[in-house]
Amino acid sequence: MTLSILPTTVVGSYSMPGWLERLKTEFYARRISRRDLDEIHDTAVKAAIKDQEVAGIDIITDGELRRDNMIDYFAERLPGVQIDHASKKFHYDFYDSKVLGKLPTAPLGLVDDFKFLRANTEREAKFCVTGPHSLSKRIRNEHYPSEEEFAMDLARVMNPELKAIAKAGARFIQIDEPNYSGFPEDLTWGVKALNALVDGVEAKIAVHICYGNRYGKPSWEGSYQYLLPGILEAKVHQLTLEFARRGGEDLQVFRELPPRFELGIGVIDVKTQAVETPELVAERIRKALAVIPAERIFVLPDCGCLHLPRDVAFAKLSAMVEGTRLVRKELKH
Amino acid sequence: MIVQLNHLQKKSAAGTTQEVVDTFYSLLEEGHIEQEQFARLRVQLDWIQYRQNFRECVMATRATSDVPEQFSPLEVHIDTRQVTPGCLREAILRTMGNAGDPPPPDPERVLLEDFRSFRESIAWGFNRLYWHRLADWEQFTGRGYEQALPGGKSDANHPAAVADCVADFWTLLRDLENRKQLPEEIFVMEIGVGMGTRSGLWLDRFHALDRERGTNYYPRLKFLLGDYSLATLERSRPAVKEHLELCSFVVLDALDPLKNLAFLRHKILHIHLTNVYDNLPDEEFARRDGRLYAVQVRAYIPPMDAQRISKELEIPAAEIPRTVNRLLEGGPDYLSDRRRGVAFWQEVWKAMRLEERLVNLDDLPGVSIPGDLRASQLEDVLAQAPSDVRFHLSSGALESFHNTLPLLHPRGFLQVQDIFVTHFNEYRLGFHGPGKLDGSIVNWVNGALLREVGERAGYDVHFAPFHYRKGSKTSILYTTQRE
Repeated sequence: MTLSILPTTVVGSYSMPGWLERLKTEFYARRISRRDLDEIHDTAVKAAIKDQEVAGIDIITDGELRRDNMIDYFAERLPGVQIDHASKKFHYDFYDSKVLGKLPTAPLGLVDDFKFLRANTEREAKFCVTGPHSLSKRIRNEHYPSEEEFAMDLARVMNPELKAIAKAGARFIQIDEPNYSGFPEDLTWGVKALNALVDGVEAKIAVHICYGNRYGKPSWEGSYQYLLPGILEAKVHQLTLEFARRGGEDLQVFRELPPRFELGIGVIDVKTQAVETPELVAERIRKALAVIPAERIFVLPDCGCLHLPRDVAFAKLSAMVEGTRLVRKELKH
Repeated sequence: MIVQLNHLQKKSAAGTTQEVVDTFYSLLEEGHIEQEQFARLRVQLDWIQYRQNFRECVMATRATSDVPEQFSPLEVHIDTRQVTPGCLREAILRTMGNAGDPPPPDPERVLLEDFRSFRESIAWGFNRLYWHRLADWEQFTGRGYEQALPGGKSDANHPAAVADCVADFWTLLRDLENRKQLPEEIFVMEIGVGMGTRSGLWLDRFHALDRERGTNYYPRLKFLLGDYSLATLERSRPAVKEHLELCSFVVLDALDPLKNLAFLRHKILHIHLTNVYDNLPDEEFARRDGRLYAVQVRAYIPPMDAQRISKELEIPAAEIPRTVNRLLEGGPDYLSDRRRGVAFWQEVWKAMRLEERLVNLDDLPGVSIPGDLRASQLEDVLAQAPSDVRFHLSSGALESFHNTLPLLHPRGFLQVQDIFVTHFNEYRLGFHGPGKLDGSIVNWVNGALLREVGERAGYDVHFAPFHYRKGSKTSILYTTQRE
């Protein structure tokens, strides 16, 4: 499948419908069965796929609608992670999870989710995985001597799963590491763990680094300046970053980004419900073009659309696609 | 019949309770009340905390007919402070009607509106008028609004509380600086500034601490004083005169600070409010026998008061509603003579009472729950609440809270000093408000619902008693970032 220049994609999550939130919480209250919830998830994922297709997105995801949040979905699957199932009041809350011994290696069951996505769209598909740094910041470590060693072992355990996902046909895999921005002092070992995670994975690998989107608000503020030069050690193909909400000033930081890196530029602010116009999106893309050539740019929202109402998320993605088309036309001339 | 005693004033309450029980038995024996009516009666004594309030001595609350009459809630509220010897029987009979039939409307009573949510009541029009024309009110009463507060002054200005707040804020700035995340401009906001006393104290203390510790944060400060009254903002200026270069005075609606300050989304490091939420439009819900009801009110002037006002101010009783509307639209000058206008305003306010009824929420499909709180979330909260409970929806406070949180910097915090019900179980212990505080309304705030809204917006909400003044009923709500 050939992609147009300036391919459009999403960061991962799609709008979480209120009814789905309610049903997830019902599941925790044991008022609906696992089987019913799985069926509900399948239906919701199909709807999210359809919305992305209709909006015109080139590379789509499953909307991550099976996930309660970016941590628990993995914590529940990681063998050796103990979870207090009573610690969650609302599905979006984090479990109180901890690791008490060395993590054993076992399949995580993510491949099936990718296969479901693959089976339900003709478009290019991307699978997103929370990275070892972010996981190590939330799952309580009561075994490893350091966070770094914990993260490295998480990477070891998750690496075969990523290889399996790639083998199942995933050409695009995204690793989410928003916690880099909250803990810039960890960047060196965070990147080391990232490299261990993606080692030998045959796919285009992006790392998504934002300033947090928990509850639809930033978790930190600052400048992407902290990423350099540490992030250049990352054995990934693409940096996927947040520029729309933050005004784009940080784009200058990446003027000298080595050619082996592509840049995924956030052109949609997911922390406000105001829908961007295609013209504004185009303007944001043009700003990025002043810094990095079109061949190395992917276009996407700042982060996941999880907290946006569905109609707003759809309208924003549609505007993103339309704005990208405007710039593609300019590039042709 | 259930008799519930709340705010205990031993002498009057104990005597009145016996009299209430005796009276209801005799009304039953005499056939004024039917057996089934008697059985489902819920009598509440001293339900309202405030001496100045919107209730008559005895008030009955009925549900609109959503369920068969014999299962419908029937409540009688008695304020023992207003009970005079020998008046009880007649007052109960008047509000209960006869043999199951509600009493006919009293033609002498002057109705000021139709039944509606308390939030929409004309009572809040008076509250607005008070803040917009505070100077007129104060001029004719001869005392400032702070003097009307319990204790005669605001807890907002307690120096030790202000110093602790400043110390916490300085620690936050230090931490951000250590993490190289301190913004160039340090935004702080006070909403509802009053005389500006707290803002002045806060800035003085912050300046002193910053100098003492040599951190040089003070010049980077951008201090916003927000209030919906320009006159109030003007009055606050002298209190911050030493810091005017750092201050901006912003007219804003406490219900929606984001509307004026959207450009500061995620930028303000500290926001503080004192005694604002208790004065924002509110409404009440009640759960009875598993059903959720909205409490609707109707403002009126009792006959005796209407006659007195009519005589003293030479306004025919029938003209009172129209004159009230003119007063609320144009202020006291609209009545040609300001002194007369203020006198009318004060007399109507003093006399105004609220009749109430319960309307099943199923009959109100258009009812909205503010603060982005979904009905399903309200159900979740109520699952933890007592089965029969009457509670504040605190719609104004929820709206304000919901529209303020987005202004906070990711590491910023909100502090609200106010009178909070911090858990639904506290409603078992009584129901406070609404009361009249001079010319304004005072109401307790449902902290349990604020906690729910906060959690869904990414903030944990905590309450700490205001321990700086013994006997203070206020608490401090503060937010921390929720992971």
